[in-house]
Amino acid sequence: MIVNSIRLENFRNHEATEVNFAPGINLITGRNGMGKTNLIDAIHYLCMSRSFATSSDMYVVRQGSSGFFIEAQLSGSIRSAFGLSCSYSRGEGKKFRVNDSPLERLSDLIGIVPVVVLSPDDKRLTNEGPAERRSFLDAMISQVYRSYLTDLLEYRRIIRQRNRLLSMRNVRPDLLRIQLEPWNQQLAKSGAKIIERRRNVLARFARFLEDSYALISGIGLKPSFEYKTIAPVPEGADETHIAGLFAALIEDNHDKETERQMTLFGPHRDDLVFYLDGMELRKFGSQGQHRLFALALKLAQLAYFSDTLDDLPVFLLDDVFGDLDPAKVKVLADMLNAHTGQAFITAANQTPFEGLIPFDTARNRHFSVTDGPQVSPVSAG
Amino acid sequence: MHLTSETLERAVEHLSKLPGVGRKSAQRLAMHLVKQEKDGVLQLAQALIDLKEKIRYCSNCFTITDNDPCPICRSAKRQRSVLCVVEDSRDVYVIEKTNEFKGGYHVLGGVISPLDDVGPDDIRIKELIARVNSSSEPVTEVILALNPDAEGEATSFYIHKMLSPFGVKVTRIAHGIPMGTELEFIDEATLSKAFIGRNAF
Ligand SMILES: [Zn+2]
Repeated sequence: MIVNSIRLENFRNHEATEVNFAPGINLITGRNGMGKTNLIDAIHYLCMSRSFATSSDMYVVRQGSSGFFIEAQLSGSIRSAFGLSCSYSRGEGKKFRVNDSPLERLSDLIGIVPVVVLSPDDKRLTNEGPAERRSFLDAMISQVYRSYLTDLLEYRRIIRQRNRLLSMRNVRPDLLRIQLEPWNQQLAKSGAKIIERRRNVLARFARFLEDSYALISGIGLKPSFEYKTIAPVPEGADETHIAGLFAALIEDNHDKETERQMTLFGPHRDDLVFYLDGMELRKFGSQGQHRLFALALKLAQLAYFSDTLDDLPVFLLDDVFGDLDPAKVKVLADMLNAHTGQAFITAANQTPFEGLIPFDTARNRHFSVTDGPQVSPVSAG
Repeated sequence: MHLTSETLERAVEHLSKLPGVGRKSAQRLAMHLVKQEKDGVLQLAQALIDLKEKIRYCSNCFTITDNDPCPICRSAKRQRSVLCVVEDSRDVYVIEKTNEFKGGYHVLGGVISPLDDVGPDDIRIKELIARVNSSSEPVTEVILALNPDAEGEATSFYIHKMLSPFGVKVTRIAHGIPMGTELEFIDEATLSKAFIGRNAF
């Protein structure tokens, strides 16, 4: 998928910005705070309906305005040329459109423009709690399988319904049991779908992770992971089997869950445990190994998407070259030169790429962001 | 924003409470009505009053009707032994349009949803059980045609469970309904297929 151009209105610090991108590597340089990241964050927002740099839509709107607008012209393999836009206003929320026809659901949007982002925040993947890894997994799978996001939203809805029942104080215990039953059954069925999908995707993902880690580290350590879910699930177990396991677990923990008044078991508690040569990364990994592992996870996502999807993902690299050693920069640069899809890099300056990535070609382009913010192409030489 | 007329403001306020009508549309509607002929507006007002004064719920199937029992419950051509359970009267209308179903209906008037404080006793499940249990009109099959979302599924499951002591066959429409689609929005052909291909629960 290629983002040919983008137009921003009141998105973060961009009051009115319009940029025509190159189909290959786009380098965006400028001083900190100029709005380099915001430019590629707008691309991410169009792909995923959220910012990768800030958690709330509130901070996405430029100070002093009541909403924002992003519009991009794209070309892909199925839709050869189309427009994708997002308008957001406080009070009315956001609305996405493909060629002026509104998208009804979030699941209609996610996956239209597959995206992979590398950012300094990636270190959270290995350093922070399970929620970070689940959201990495969910963002990855929803872009490949449209039904996954629908299933996930439904699963979350069932949990909210069920938690509401569990927290009702004035229901007789025997009646509560009867009323819980349909939700238990829904939870098991819906949860099993999520677990089954995560298992299948992860089984394929393992190979890409090994390749990526080998490429970026150059050392013979073998990365692996363990998918931790409700219970050990036997090899080859299908969705029905998993639903059975889950239903039994819910039944066994009826008293515990009514006491705690919430859903304690299920894929919303899943985690991934990472290993290097069989040693748990969290316990034994050095800071350097953590960083490489997180980087490899993202590169593996890129490889998995490139292998699976009709359209190559848009690859966003936000401020990741600054603190990589020259050898790693070289590996990434080689990879970018070989990547036939589109990439966007933000960096303080062009120095790390000199002699590695040419920007005076038809495929690549260098932009600088200056006060305003003003985004303008930098002519070669 | 304040309007120059309190009367207009009051109309806008009421119109904007309608589903899918924002304040801007409400203003447009109200201004449109102001410009209409008096007769047309009075007829609209009467139609709205009739909604409350003339429309009632069928005491048998609980669909919206002018006359109780409703035309479907009165019809001699309908099979009384098969009941189709739906969430509300709009679904009856949608299913009737397919011409595929020749039985009777049972309108629940909602689905179970703890988040909305709707429990099994807040919708017409007891009434359904009473109909299945009644000796005057034996029911042999209950078709569950609720939306395939979490609440619809949970309600179907609950009803199925409650009906199991009565030995009645419980089926559900299944085929071709895309996940997360509201029954209302499915085209008729898809819904016809859904009826023909219904599954035992
Ligand atoms: Zn009736």
